[in-house]
Amino acid sequence: MAALQRVASSVSATASNYGSCKGAAADAVVSDQFPAGLRVLVVDDDITCLRILEQMLRRCLYLVTTCSQAKVALNLLRERKGCFDVVLSDVHMPDMDGFKLLEHVGLEMDLPVIMMSADGRTSAVMRGIRHGACDYLIKPIREEELKNIWQHVVRKKWNENKELEHSGSLEDSDRNKRGNDDAEYTSSVNEGTEGVLKGHKKRSNSKDEDDGEPENDDPSTSKKPRVVWSVELHQQFVSAVNQLGIDKAVPKRILELMNVPGLTRENVASHLQKFRLYLKRLSGVSQQGGISNAFCGPLDSNVKLNALGRFDIQALAASGQIPPQTLAALHAELLGRPAGSLVTTVDQPALLQASIQGPKCIPVEHGVAFGQPLVKCQSNISKPFPQNMVSVEEVASKFGAWPSNSLGIVGPNTNLGGMGSQNGNMLMDILHQQQQQQQHHQQPQQSSLSEPGLSINVQPSCLVVPSQSSASFQAGNSPASVNQSCNFNRNAVIDYSLLSSQSNNSSLNIGHVPDGNLKTTVVVSGYSVPGTISPSASSSSVNADSGINRQFQNSTITFGAARHLPGLASNICDVQGSYGAKSGEVLDQGPLRYLGFVGKGTFLPSQFSVDEFTAPISNLSQGKTYVENNGSKVKQEPNMEFTDDARVGVSVLRQFPPNDLMSVFTE
Amino acid sequence: MLGLGADRLRADMNRLLALLFHQGVLDEQFLQLQQLQDESSPNFVSEVVNIYFHESEKLLRNLRGLLMDRECSDYKKMGIHLNQFIGSSSSIGAKRVRNVCVAFRAASEQNNRAGCLRALELLEHEYCYLKNKMHELFQLEQQRLLAAGVRYPMQN
Repeated sequence: MAALQRVASSVSATASNYGSCKGAAADAVVSDQFPAGLRVLVVDDDITCLRILEQMLRRCLYLVTTCSQAKVALNLLRERKGCFDVVLSDVHMPDMDGFKLLEHVGLEMDLPVIMMSADGRTSAVMRGIRHGACDYLIKPIREEELKNIWQHVVRKKWNENKELEHSGSLEDSDRNKRGNDDAEYTSSVNEGTEGVLKGHKKRSNSKDEDDGEPENDDPSTSKKPRVVWSVELHQQFVSAVNQLGIDKAVPKRILELMNVPGLTRENVASHLQKFRLYLKRLSGVSQQGGISNAFCGPLDSNVKLNALGRFDIQALAASGQIPPQTLAALHAELLGRPAGSLVTTVDQPALLQASIQGPKCIPVEHGVAFGQPLVKCQSNISKPFPQNMVSVEEVASKFGAWPSNSLGIVGPNTNLGGMGSQNGNMLMDILHQQQQQQQHHQQPQQSSLSEPGLSINVQPSCLVVPSQSSASFQAGNSPASVNQSCNFNRNAVIDYSLLSSQSNNSSLNIGHVPDGNLKTTVVVSGYSVPGTISPSASSSSVNADSGINRQFQNSTITFGAARHLPGLASNICDVQGSYGAKSGEVLDQGPLRYLGFVGKGTFLPSQFSVDEFTAPISNLSQGKTYVENNGSKVKQEPNMEFTDDARVGVSVLRQFPPNDLMSVFTE
Repeated sequence: MLGLGADRLRADMNRLLALLFHQGVLDEQFLQLQQLQDESSPNFVSEVVNIYFHESEKLLRNLRGLLMDRECSDYKKMGIHLNQFIGSSSSIGAKRVRNVCVAFRAASEQNNRAGCLRALELLEHEYCYLKNKMHELFQLEQQRLLAAGVRYPMQN
């Protein structure tokens, strides 16, 4: 029927957006009005949802690009690497499974991917998580949910940054030897790598044409690329924080207390962020009885940080998201292991513990950046922690489901047999999945390591800005959503019902909807700056069935790069060009066509008026819909009467003149 | 005089909407749609609803075609179509249509042909009702805009 001869206009964007793609891809995210300007790619074969999402996202001041075919979307992403920050994708799509797209995006571009579906069953959501989705939204999607997707971007970039710092230090393993004067904390941080990290800092510091000394308290040079948090400096920081109290520790006050010349508030702010994360992570580890119970979960209690004076980036890196493949490679390099072996994030259990505890103690007072990372279990480059093996079982029992995101987590690479519960199976699945993935994709991933590195280099400041702006940006909103999504992540099984009820989804999800080949129109359209008034619809669809091109209600700008889009898409560009001019008139024709149907006079609302209309209640649905009209009360009717109603219904309809709609019913 | 017309039309619209909400034909998601309409997209609601109708009719055609195939009805494919129907219907707030789709999907999963047929009839009926009501709504809106629009210049 619906031949796949859809015309999809190429993705369009304004010149400014495009320009920002090429040049400062990283900076585009971190603008002054962050998260406004977030570049979102939406992929959904359902045009209705696509249009609604587009509008919602534009209202969030994001830069939206829509796409109704997964393959086109993939090509788009490949063509314009670095031009998107986050991808929203439907799960069920005709040409490619949403999860496949998710995998591709995760591997090739390493962008955060958020899945969407009308199917809100736990199993479906679980699948999404397992595949590594950052989030899983249930249709109908509300604007509030979309407002918070930027957190996934920030988090991912942040963790990539940390990873980069770490990876940069690898070449310097001989340079480290900063000494380990922080033996007091027994956290899972590996001392060796720690030294490496310090060496890295040292190297980057000297590389910055500045002083060669480790301390950085003399930024007389205007160009102060990176602050190196030496031990002394960090101790000062910690004592300042202690003095203020962890919950009252604001960068400004800390800065004053520290009284270090040349240290900027931004430095302190970003350091504080990391530190908080670190604490959170450690609080989880402490549950295992490893560390002193200097503090429990909630950070808002006054935490004495004596025992954990040392700030360890590497530990924080562990708590963030790091693509497992990258980590595997780095780890392999670091430890001299063969690249193909699985990296055991042996501090995984620690993180899991942390993540269990995490949601409880998320300091909602701040921007979202803190909220999630600990909830993610990620592989870690560090050497094994002492107390790793044990907790997996504990973790599994506590967790209904693992938190989302690249669950390539590879927990301790052994000991999973002990779990009889479904968690065990799930973990095994994840493990195997990731193993396979790793083996398959090890090669390409290593080669592409440099690429993310390059892009990440540009954004040392990106850590700073979001923390500030996010705090100001809808501070009211984000905490709530942090909690919400945290709950979700922590225990998808249980809390999901909360989530779904909150999201106002009264769906009855019955049965299982398999993936398949649904032929639909291909619509690719794009919008640029939200400020521009792009008239009405974004969808330009060609209906091969009717042979009429209808509803080109858009003036998408055919984009230069679009020519490179293969096959179908290239046709699209041309067609789109020809229709662009007519968009104005067609626009009017579109809606009017339907109104014309109404205006033909045969449509008499009165016929469907309250009195005459008897809406047969669906006996098939589990939910009982009860319709009350003015006159007739229609209650639930037994099955046998159903056909009668249907006949009545049809006969009522037949009174109307034939038109598009009627053709549906006449056979 | 014309001003009164515009107000009356608005009252009619509100009444119609209230009725539809009461009947369960629409739910809050439709309100979300209305809130998304702004100066940059002044026709957003009608645009989206028209897209929905356009797509839905395709789906309905497909469904009927699949069901009429007596030899072997492709229930799997029906499920796929229904899934999309559910997604789009819920996205615009067409609650009753959506519920029928859900029931339809359940029947298709059981390969229950009779149930599917019944569901399809019901679905078409509900869809038709929704469409007519939507058109009525849009008509009222158009008339209201006209009435409101004409009034202002005269007041100058």
